[in-house]
Amino acid sequence: MTAVSVLQVRRWVRRSQAAHKERGETLGNFYFALLFVAIVGGMVHRQIAAVVWPGHPTAAPLAGVSFAVALAGALYLLLRRAGPLALSRPASSWLLTAPVSRRSLLLPSLGVAVLVAAVAGAVGALGIMGHVMVHPVAELPLLGALGAIVVLFVALAAQAGQWWTELSDNAAYLLIAAGLAGLVVNSAADLHWSFDARSWVVPAIGALALIAAAGLAYSVRTLARTPNDRILEAATTAGTLADAAFGVEPSFVTDMIERRYWARRKLRSKRLWARLPVLTAQDLLLLRRRPRRLLWLLGGVALPALFSSAPAWVLAIAVLIGGLVAGGVTTANVRTDTGNPWMLRMIGLSSREAVLQRSCVPMILAGFWSAAALTMLNLLGTLPAGPWWLLGLALGPVGGVAAVRKARTGFVDNGLMPLDTPMGSFAIGPLIAAFAGVDVLLLGVPSIVLIGQGGPLSWNGVLVQAAVAALAVRAYLAGTTATDRVELTSH
Amino acid sequence: MDRTAVEVRSLTVSYGSTPVLVEVDLTVPLGAGVCITGENGIGKSTLLRCISSLQRPDSGEIEVFGGPPGSTPEFWRAVATTVEPPTWYPGLTCREHAELVCRAHGLDPDDAGVDEALERFGLSGHADAIPPSMSSGQKQRLTLALVLLRPSRLLILDEPEQRLDPEGRATVAAMLAGYHAGGGSILMASHDDTFATAAGTSLIGMAELHTLPA
Repeated sequence: MTAVSVLQVRRWVRRSQAAHKERGETLGNFYFALLFVAIVGGMVHRQIAAVVWPGHPTAAPLAGVSFAVALAGALYLLLRRAGPLALSRPASSWLLTAPVSRRSLLLPSLGVAVLVAAVAGAVGALGIMGHVMVHPVAELPLLGALGAIVVLFVALAAQAGQWWTELSDNAAYLLIAAGLAGLVVNSAADLHWSFDARSWVVPAIGALALIAAAGLAYSVRTLARTPNDRILEAATTAGTLADAAFGVEPSFVTDMIERRYWARRKLRSKRLWARLPVLTAQDLLLLRRRPRRLLWLLGGVALPALFSSAPAWVLAIAVLIGGLVAGGVTTANVRTDTGNPWMLRMIGLSSREAVLQRSCVPMILAGFWSAAALTMLNLLGTLPAGPWWLLGLALGPVGGVAAVRKARTGFVDNGLMPLDTPMGSFAIGPLIAAFAGVDVLLLGVPSIVLIGQGGPLSWNGVLVQAAVAALAVRAYLAGTTATDRVELTSH
Repeated sequence: MDRTAVEVRSLTVSYGSTPVLVEVDLTVPLGAGVCITGENGIGKSTLLRCISSLQRPDSGEIEVFGGPPGSTPEFWRAVATTVEPPTWYPGLTCREHAELVCRAHGLDPDDAGVDEALERFGLSGHADAIPPSMSSGQKQRLTLALVLLRPSRLLILDEPEQRLDPEGRATVAAMLAGYHAGGGSILMASHDDTFATAAGTSLIGMAELHTLPA
């Protein structure tokens, strides 16, 4: 069979599309994109520069290495989630099934992936260099870029479906965990460890360049063999990401990830615990089926220690946000009920009873997580003496209710009036959605004060936090649910 | 004691300038089965949505068991419907969905016959599957299984025969007939007269419900 040139087909598609557009429309879009980048860059370039390149490097080398390890793991997972070889949805529907050369069809995607990985690696290396090295090594960003490209080629091979694909994903999670652990150790212990990058950076660049070149040659040769289903999956991901960005609706992506996760799992029906309220029992079943999330929560207990040297209120906010994340492990059920109350109508419970039953597991998780995190900070000497574990438990309802509120937000309301500012107008719907749940964390203010004071924790302080949390749960249930309504939202 | 399950008087609904229901009257006596028939777009689903309180009519009165339909737990404990497309909980199998519905209504899943219901609907081989992974026909069977498993006094079903194979239609019709024989009321819309008759419902044309010409 003769293959048609992809270039010709793509040129024809572009010409046909251009025929439907106004003259100069593409150029106009390009101009506006450039203008947008210039304006945003002009507004925040100082902040970006301060993050990537602080004037005086203060981080220890262990922090730099740990960050690099975690970054490599995160980059690998991001590349795997995105494909890394992806096509647009129209191309996956029409060109993937057409008699065109698959290698030429996929080559531009490979180019984009290499470019993205290289830029990410270079910026990461630049940031680490700026934070760690007193005497910068000019070649380090190149090393970062090459390292990222090697990571990309591993992800590319994994996309083609190897026996080690799942293992490599797990290894990437381990890299992230190891990197975070290194960061925690670095901030908790005062390590004096130094290394000189100058001695090994050039040989390392040489070695990585060789591996990257070999990887590129192998990838281009085997590009056409990437299975169709993997490319279609990546095309769906790309399309969903575009939808989410265009509609400012991040839940599209969360739903897709959730759907894919369960589609891969093989489940066996279990009995719901008969002694517990039915929706709480369902949440516990969901929790049991996400053991990895529990493991992450357990590991995450150490993360607030990263802020040991930050102001105490930052530390307190980190613990509160951690509680919100911990409480969110089972709130996918609340999100489902918010999106479509069909099952709630089938069940026939009032919204108050449903939300109360659904809040139990989030509150317990948030409580235990906060207690563990505060105890850890106490043991590390960051927090003075006192019953910190009890304060953590008292924070449970705050984190739990915040997580439930976040899950009940539903879709972003893009119909709200935009807010006019001197720098232009922006939509407030996404802003409200982003802060839903986080606002409830304000009820943890007593804890912020208690941690911020820096003195030993008193029992009275715990009592105040517990009272505020209990009142908050009561007010939340009374204000947002009803005994005579099944649906979670009132219309 | 209410004598009627559903009472609709002078119901009017328009979509924009297009009237769909004009002065519609309908009575479903307690324990009766009524099947509304008619071509696509004549307003069957709109009528069922209004009766299920999922859509607000422009004017007219609706009573379900002597009271206005609403979103109260009491209403939804008495009424089970398939008028809306179902949603499924993440990471919950078919059997667990059925058990959840039974337990929420205070029923023991074994006494309620969850396994038998899945078997009768041809889903016993899919008890451990998550609903989104099943075909549209299987999802329709599961929806009907859930509706029939839970206690209710009125079923409001929109084309329950949709997406079912002939064997599935016969099973569902027999189960609806059993529900009807047990004293339950049924209001449904269907395009399959044979199915509706087998389910023990009496047919009524949508056009006959309009007291004024549309």
